[in-house]
Amino acid sequence: MYVELKNINKNFGSYKASDNVNFGIEKGKLAALLGPSGSGKTTILRMIAGLESPDSGEIIIDGKTVNNIPASKRGIGFVFQNYALFRYMTVYDNIAFGLNVKKTDKKKTDERVRELIELIGLKGLEKRYPSQLSGGQRQRVAFARAIAPNPQLLLLDEPFAAIDAKVRQELRSWLKEMIEKLGVTSIFVTHDRDEAIEVADDIIITNKGRIEQKGSPYEIYQNPATAFTASFFGQAAFIDDYGSFKTFDKIENADKAILRPEFVRVTKKGEVQKYKNSASEGIVERVSFRGSDMEITVRCGGNVLSARRGLDEENISRGEKVDVFIYRMFVTKGDNVYLLENKAVREDTIVI
Amino acid sequence: MHKNQSKTVKYILIGICAVFAFLFLLLPLYIVFAEALRDGIEKYRDAVTDEYTIKAVLLTVEATACAVVINTIFGIFAAWAVGKFNFKGKKVFTTLIDLPVTISPIIAGLIFVLIFGRQSVLYPFLQNMGIKVVFAVPGIILATVFVTFPFISRELIPVLEAQGTDEEEAAALMGAGGFTIFTKVTFPHIKWAFLYGLVLCTARAMGEFGAVSVLSGHLRGKTNTLPLHIEILFNEFQYVPAFAVSSILVIMAVIILIARSVIEYKGKKEC
Repeated sequence: MYVELKNINKNFGSYKASDNVNFGIEKGKLAALLGPSGSGKTTILRMIAGLESPDSGEIIIDGKTVNNIPASKRGIGFVFQNYALFRYMTVYDNIAFGLNVKKTDKKKTDERVRELIELIGLKGLEKRYPSQLSGGQRQRVAFARAIAPNPQLLLLDEPFAAIDAKVRQELRSWLKEMIEKLGVTSIFVTHDRDEAIEVADDIIITNKGRIEQKGSPYEIYQNPATAFTASFFGQAAFIDDYGSFKTFDKIENADKAILRPEFVRVTKKGEVQKYKNSASEGIVERVSFRGSDMEITVRCGGNVLSARRGLDEENISRGEKVDVFIYRMFVTKGDNVYLLENKAVREDTIVI
Repeated sequence: MHKNQSKTVKYILIGICAVFAFLFLLLPLYIVFAEALRDGIEKYRDAVTDEYTIKAVLLTVEATACAVVINTIFGIFAAWAVGKFNFKGKKVFTTLIDLPVTISPIIAGLIFVLIFGRQSVLYPFLQNMGIKVVFAVPGIILATVFVTFPFISRELIPVLEAQGTDEEEAAALMGAGGFTIFTKVTFPHIKWAFLYGLVLCTARAMGEFGAVSVLSGHLRGKTNTLPLHIEILFNEFQYVPAFAVSSILVIMAVIILIARSVIEYKGKKEC
């Protein structure tokens, strides 16, 4: 592990920002700290950077415990949420700052800065001030400034939060590409699930100061380890009486079930449905066009579920009675989560 | 109709302002110079080059310079502390900074007389050390520092608070030391506000009368600042010299006003 946090605790007054945090990140990986606001993800990032110090626990970077090393000596690049570019310095001076502080040779500094300006595609704008740049350009300058002194670790605090949707999309792929190219170990903080899935190699889910789960986006999506992860990661409908759906095993004292749209298949009465006997009847409450597919909101007894239907399938209209079949569901009990497969599907595969 | 109405309002307002400016600003200014030159340029020159006048000018400049330097140091530290850090009693501290502006200067003078005067417990100690505060130059400087205390910090605090600490944090993370951070990151930001505070502080220090009057003892040629010197001349019915010396203060004030306008103009252009 290149970066490792061991039993980290941090309180702000009575507020527990980090509650026994443990995780590690391998060299060269791009990891995302993902969680709702107030879940302690920024605090973790700031502790790694040395901008906050943990009350207890160990932070290890490249095999060395860095708890007592000041932020300025840790050799970390940091991209702030609002970029924190030096507003009275030009793009050039901003990027050169870290190198000048280290008293790097003038010629080398110049070379490096020019190379980076080229890399971020802002050639010709060297003499501009941050206030004369667009949001996306500022972000790129902040990135270049952070990596100019060749840090071994790059930390990014909500790097895309302050940028409008279209540019954000572009920047995400750009940043991923850049980081891969440079091979620098990176950790970024985000509250946006899609962003984490798209950009990160590893995702660390935070909630109430704790680490809920760590894994690849695929792993976490398929096998959420905790009730929180199951509900936070992916679009979720919550169901109190999952027993009302046919052919599912029972779990004693379960709290609720979580259904993702892809777990639910909605078919018209006349359509072929292989597991018709295991399907329940529902009434369509809303049909919304989502561009690439239709989102169907359907009521089954007391539960409201959401499902997707392809654009090539026959139209379903509001108020229509439909068959609702559920492939699988996550059932939560306290902090634990269980994946339940529909027995009808399971038996089917056994027969074949 | 509507347009005519707003035009009438416009001219009435401008008229009122003009009359006020004439009565309260231009007329007194004119009288200062008219009275000063009433007996001709010779007398004016005599009054201005009088030995005691020159000493008073020098003392005023000395007190002003000391006040500006001390308040600059304090102002930057105070503004930095308040703008960049959170600590207990921060509210109380920022309120206290304003005290010298709200309190009457006479009281400020009396406070220092009580602290350093004959009845003070400090007095024997100070006398042993050979330091004289009351009725001496240090007292005048102390009084001037006190009344101009908030001017620079007051200008800087809002600017530093608005800026936040992000840029400083960024610089620190890249390994910059406190001094580099201040000169490269913080100071460019507060430069114009700082110069503006400097001008206000200078203007106020030059014209200070109340607190200095209590502490000075009015020793001609020793502890007389310009405003005190003017008062003495006036009380001795020496009108021409009194106004002549006043005109020096007026000219100094006008120079500072011009400096202020230039700073404001440049500051706006850069923002």
